[in-house]
Amino acid sequence: MSVLHAAPLLEVRGLSIGYGAPIATGIDLQIAPGEIIAVLGPSGSGKSTLLATLAGIIPALAGRISISGRDITQAPIQDRRIGLAFQEPLLFGHLDVLGNVAYGPRRHGASRPEARARALSLLAWVGLEDLARRSVQQLSGGQAQRIALARALAADPLLLLLDEPFSALDADLRTRLATEVARGLRERGVGAIHVTHDVDEARLVADRILRIQATGAGTARLMP
Amino acid sequence: MTTRTSPAWLGWAWVLPAGFLLAFLAVPVTVILRHAVGSWGTAGLSVADARGTWAVALLAAAQATASTLLAVAVGLPIANVVSRYRFRGRSLVMAFVTIPFVLPTVVVALALRQLIGPGLGPGLLLVIIAHAYVNLAVVVRIVGSQWHQLDPRAESIARTLGAGALQAFWTVTLPRLRPAIASAAAVVFTFCFTSLGIVLILGDASTRTLEQQVLRQTSVLLDFPGAAASALVQLIVVSAVLLLGTGMGRLRPTSLQASRLLPLPQRTVPRLLVLLVAVVASLLVLAPVVALVVGSLRTSGGWSLQWWVSIGSVDAGTTRIGSPIDALATSIRYALVTAVIAAAVGGLAALAVLSHRTGRALAIIALAPLGISAATIGLGTLLTYGRPPWDLRGTGLLVPIAHALVAVPLVVAVVMPALRLADGRAAHVAATLGARPTRAFLTAYGPILGVVMLAGAGLAAATSLGEFGAASFLAREGAPTVPVQIARLLSRPGEQSLGSAGVLAVILVIATLGLVMLVDGMGRRMLTR
Repeated sequence: MSVLHAAPLLEVRGLSIGYGAPIATGIDLQIAPGEIIAVLGPSGSGKSTLLATLAGIIPALAGRISISGRDITQAPIQDRRIGLAFQEPLLFGHLDVLGNVAYGPRRHGASRPEARARALSLLAWVGLEDLARRSVQQLSGGQAQRIALARALAADPLLLLLDEPFSALDADLRTRLATEVARGLRERGVGAIHVTHDVDEARLVADRILRIQATGAGTARLMP
Repeated sequence: MTTRTSPAWLGWAWVLPAGFLLAFLAVPVTVILRHAVGSWGTAGLSVADARGTWAVALLAAAQATASTLLAVAVGLPIANVVSRYRFRGRSLVMAFVTIPFVLPTVVVALALRQLIGPGLGPGLLLVIIAHAYVNLAVVVRIVGSQWHQLDPRAESIARTLGAGALQAFWTVTLPRLRPAIASAAAVVFTFCFTSLGIVLILGDASTRTLEQQVLRQTSVLLDFPGAAASALVQLIVVSAVLLLGTGMGRLRPTSLQASRLLPLPQRTVPRLLVLLVAVVASLLVLAPVVALVVGSLRTSGGWSLQWWVSIGSVDAGTTRIGSPIDALATSIRYALVTAVIAAAVGGLAALAVLSHRTGRALAIIALAPLGISAATIGLGTLLTYGRPPWDLRGTGLLVPIAHALVAVPLVVAVVMPALRLADGRAAHVAATLGARPTRAFLTAYGPILGVVMLAGAGLAAATSLGEFGAASFLAREGAPTVPVQIARLLSRPGEQSLGSAGVLAVILVIATLGLVMLVDGMGRRMLTR
């Protein structure tokens, strides 16, 4: 299912990533709208650093990142329209479920009722609208991860970065949730980079699989 | 911990601490209550007196609120930097920030008087600054330890959802820190509300505290019922604030995660900001201490060792209160006796907590002196054991007993967690190898117990050396402790008095920091075993 012929959603050219010293260099990457790619690699190979750089949490050491043709290499995190979900749901403990999902729309200027309506529609999408007023402390692991994904999508991102989001769940739930999320993202036309070390999970959700491989000079590259 | 291999005497470990706390905490507090209730119940305390007490309480509450706000405002950025980022010198900055808290309050007061006193003059502003200075460590430690555990990725997620950096802090990080900030603020408020040394040396009529009122009513007006009433009002306010603080301070465990320190931000401006906060915090904290040392080395004629050389002579103090060197000898003697009493009582209380179910109740009682001001302890001890039938004034034990009460919670706090760390199964192994219960117990807990008891004793000695509140009630006229002597010297005019006070303060700084570093070193040694 190749969608590469479409205009790229994300375009990365000659990207170097790392905290001070580069751990991967010369990264080139294109993602089409609605395309999901999986990035595989051993622990410490720079998968999470790549996501942190794309999200703007750490600056790129070199290279250029564009999203829908707009150069965002230097753009602040909140202006990139890139969503993020980690292995831990990292829900905001002082807000209830609805408050968590409505957080993004509110930051983007939606009124309280608008944000609430959007949050409820996303909660319905993940099948958890009944839990809207529940404290996040009372959720199961799977519920919390669905809420985290609903929260990320409520901010209307163009691209979603998934940093091993299902690896804390048991095998059955992992497979089911990964399939559901992949389908939902495609339906909504949201592109995604899914970082994992599980080849089966990568095959299940991704249109393409890339690997971070060491080049021998202490750095690594992204290769098909 | 009590098992079939435990020695029989362990079951009786609670007796000494319980007896000590009953005699020197419960009885004196009851005596204060009896005096206070008696004075209110009869015509002993007029309505005007009662109004006066509440007026002072209000004044002190306003001062304590302002001091707390300043401490939190200055402490938060420092907590952010030292608890979240990894950089060279981070531990040093942390140690610097802790210094004001471990220094005796009269020393801090003198240091700030040397540094900014000439420009600012005594009064509310100077007192607020001094209180914020002393309590910076409370904010940095309590808020910092919570901040360290917050997963920084939650803030990153808020940013990806559209929040700017400040907005992410305001809407995601600050709410998660609120419990810790409430706890820290309650503790700081309590310290500022019950302040004595700092308000005596740096304050004026606008900075009176109930603690000061209790001292004045006891030593100047000889109005013991009035003093007891003031102490009671203070106890009520402090208990209410601490309860409120702990109520608001309930932590949400699921929002926490053990997280590692972050590397410094890679972008230049945030990176420089972090380093700037670290440098400015260090300078702010060290400047008064440096001013103190410089002050002890200067006379009106320039640099001189005059104050240091004359410290042994009676002229350096007053003929009435003896030489500063005598005060040092008194303080050291008291510190040693305090160390022995506090280590025995606190150590046994900690053992009792681990070995006995009712011991847990004892632990709560053993920690109670934390919420009771030093002057309340001093007044209670004086009312109970400063006159017949149990007059202990001639024994020289009143001050060490009061100091031990202040220090026992610290000893319990040092000994108890360490005992929990020890592996009790070693006792079972020793028993199977033929050791009798006491030998088996000592095999498992002896080595760690030796280290932590010494550390606790060191901490108790440091507390005694710097304690001012209780000592100002109990120290005999001719045998003041060093902090009391410093306060007396500062109340007298003249360069000689200031110079001698400065030298005594520097000696206290060295002794206190030396002891605290020793205790810290022992703690590290224990953890690396």
